[in-house]
Amino acid sequence: MKLKNRFSFSATTLGMLLTSNGWAIQPQPVPVPEDSSVSPQINISGVGIATGSYGRRAGQSRPKSLIDYEDSTLQIGAAQSLYKGAIGSMGFGMLTLGNEGEPGNTPFFLSQAFLDYQGEKIEFLVGRSDNPTAHLVDFPTLRDDDLHTLNNPLNPLSNGTLAQDHRYSNVAAVTLNQGLKFFENVHAQQLVDSAGIQSSPGINSYGATFQYLSTPGMEAFSKFPSLGLGVEHLTSVGAASSGLYQIYGGGVMNLNESVTDRWDIRALDIVSVGSDLRSFSNARDTFEANSNTLSAALRYMHSPFGRAGYQLSLTAGYKNYFRVRSSRSAGFALTYVKRLGEGFDFVAQYQGQYRKASLSAAESGSLAFEQTGEVGFSFNWDATFNQHLSPRRTILNQQYQYVPN
Amino acid sequence: MTEDSAGAEMIPEEMIESETEQKSITRRDFFSSASTGVALGAGLLLSANPQGAWAAPTAKSGGSAGHAAIPPGWSNAFHPAATAPLYPPRGAPKAGEKIHEFDIEVGISVHEIVPGIKIHAFTYNGTYPGPEIRVPEGDWVLVNFTNKTSEFHTIHWHGIVLANEMDGVPNGTQWGTGPGETFKYLFRAQPAGTHFYHCHNMTNLHVQAGMFGALIIEPRDPKEDLVRKVFPYEREYTMLLSEVDTVMVEGQMERMMKEMGVMQKMNESPKLMKEMNGGMMGWFANKKAFLDSVKSGYIPPYVAPRAGRYPAPNFNFFMINGRSYPMTDEMMIRSGENIRVRLIGAGAMPHYMHLHGHDFWHVCQDGSPLQAPIRLNTVPVFPGTTTDIIIQGTNPGMWHFHDHSDIASTNNGIFPGGMMTMLMYEDAAQHGVKVPEIVQVSS
Ligand SMILES: [Cu+2]
Repeated sequence: MKLKNRFSFSATTLGMLLTSNGWAIQPQPVPVPEDSSVSPQINISGVGIATGSYGRRAGQSRPKSLIDYEDSTLQIGAAQSLYKGAIGSMGFGMLTLGNEGEPGNTPFFLSQAFLDYQGEKIEFLVGRSDNPTAHLVDFPTLRDDDLHTLNNPLNPLSNGTLAQDHRYSNVAAVTLNQGLKFFENVHAQQLVDSAGIQSSPGINSYGATFQYLSTPGMEAFSKFPSLGLGVEHLTSVGAASSGLYQIYGGGVMNLNESVTDRWDIRALDIVSVGSDLRSFSNARDTFEANSNTLSAALRYMHSPFGRAGYQLSLTAGYKNYFRVRSSRSAGFALTYVKRLGEGFDFVAQYQGQYRKASLSAAESGSLAFEQTGEVGFSFNWDATFNQHLSPRRTILNQQYQYVPN
Repeated sequence: MTEDSAGAEMIPEEMIESETEQKSITRRDFFSSASTGVALGAGLLLSANPQGAWAAPTAKSGGSAGHAAIPPGWSNAFHPAATAPLYPPRGAPKAGEKIHEFDIEVGISVHEIVPGIKIHAFTYNGTYPGPEIRVPEGDWVLVNFTNKTSEFHTIHWHGIVLANEMDGVPNGTQWGTGPGETFKYLFRAQPAGTHFYHCHNMTNLHVQAGMFGALIIEPRDPKEDLVRKVFPYEREYTMLLSEVDTVMVEGQMERMMKEMGVMQKMNESPKLMKEMNGGMMGWFANKKAFLDSVKSGYIPPYVAPRAGRYPAPNFNFFMINGRSYPMTDEMMIRSGENIRVRLIGAGAMPHYMHLHGHDFWHVCQDGSPLQAPIRLNTVPVFPGTTTDIIIQGTNPGMWHFHDHSDIASTNNGIFPGGMMTMLMYEDAAQHGVKVPEIVQVSS
């Protein structure tokens, strides 16, 4: 009502007010105004990845060449110091999807749109973000979709078109930590339902993960830089199923202690149970059916003089289904990354995946051996503006008191 | 850096007591019983005290500032030999000479500048700034400096005329004191006046991180203190002025911790020692070794763009004795009283300290009395300098004392804050001063 009155003043009245009370023209007086001088920290980061590839992929009758820029991402984040030592942030990010040879079709996938509130010992995240099951162990392949059916817990609501269906979700998560070393995450998810399984959208998965991370910056000297395990209960999947359980665990182990010539190995095992499926009728079924998947990667990092030089890795995975016949699969990726400058790399990869008949019929257009070779560049960069927050998982915060700045 | 301790070799063993683990500064005074000391060199011993020649009063202020009858002589007459040390700076304590022994330990602590703003800090004995050291001129000071961090540190005795080896410059006058090591600093306290000490390793970072403190050398005979003679005083205040970029300190300390953590791991393993070479730190035996390394793949770190690596500090907190307004300590005064304020430019920025409602006397600079006191209301305190002023209780009230370069009167860019405190008259009410509550916020 006050506001309305103010704007209905005649010019003369307003002029009078201005001479007597300078503040009178503020349209929305509030008792405690927002402090415009406190602006957030801004972070912009990106990954550019583009390769020329040659090979025969799922559904292709002959090998093809194509130019692939899938997984190029742009993310923007804002963060603010909050009261009582907390930090609030948001993230927003998109990534490019595989054009699979369709230059006119350049869709984006919304990978991040979340809000996060974190204190010293607890963190809440809500929105679109990484699927909490997807990053327990990250493999040294080039892209999200490389061997993704062999090294990722899978989303049985996906129609199989996009690997991103398994990697990102709408999520609400609470993460507790002890000393920024041990992390327990409890979450509810709304997985991407590209197969249209749910009659109406809603939460369709619950889970928990536990993860250990060694001292930041000292990863080369810990036997196990990271270890973790998780369990996910998918409540609303195919009609034949009353719910799935995925149990997965893995980690990274250093094979030697070296700064210049480091060898490490990482492994992840995923057991998926609870499905009644005994055969596949489409790709989606292959994500649901009871299975065991084991994947591992051996990596060599050459860092002359302590600076990144090149990395060579071999990632391999093997999957077998418990109830579906003729369905085993095995795959590999040999990946080479040569550092050309800060964050900018020459990349090359040769990958292949073998599928037995009933799996290839459902998942790869009956192609038994899919293989591609690719070469190109990748560029990882980020920039922080108006910085007033330091990274949280630091040696100082771990070994001395936690300081939220 | 394998030797556990260095320095103070000239002091006979029996005079150095065993180290203690005490956190707070410990002080042990004792008289030397050594009959012979090994003198490292002959210093200049002045036969005449250069302070002996003051004459002719010039005090300008009258009123109620209750100084005694103006004694004969402020004039610190020019003496061409006056900068020569009073005592030989090299040498060892002789029988009968007093030694003040202190244990100072550097560790990592959390320091709160104002409520809600904490930083990780390198601290001498756990406090930011370190403890004040106060000794009479001519006595010996022995400091057992122990490093409990993974970085290298020293103590530089700023303004002290001492033996070269005790100056605390890493890779200059000593190796930096490494993790777990103890370095013994031994020097004779001279010249009298207001001085300070600070770490001289990566000074920009380490001083911002808290490695500085006051070092006050009292005149041999306090009655001979010219300042006290002219302006009798009981209360005095030491104010270390400094500033910090909290983001820079946090980020760079973390980076150092990681680098030193890796170095330490590599030092522990013979195999990793082989991988390590000077090149990792940018050191090469000679030009050829450097060029050979470049041929075999070495990329110097400076080839990457500079932006974002070590940006210049963007100071966001400005402090008096490690705290910003309203957490700074006030100066208390009564009508008619003189107080002495020792201002120390411990940081990297100049500060222009202004007192409301008063003029004051600038009496000493860098420890030594001026030729004559200078009447001011704003005194610049430049980095590395010390300035002593006398404030006279001539105008009851609650008065602001602050850096008049007002970017330093802010906390995180928000006014008011920073390098500001109050001059508080204890008898203000008796003089009818009515101060609204708002300005008594820090009382
Ligand atoms: Cu230091």
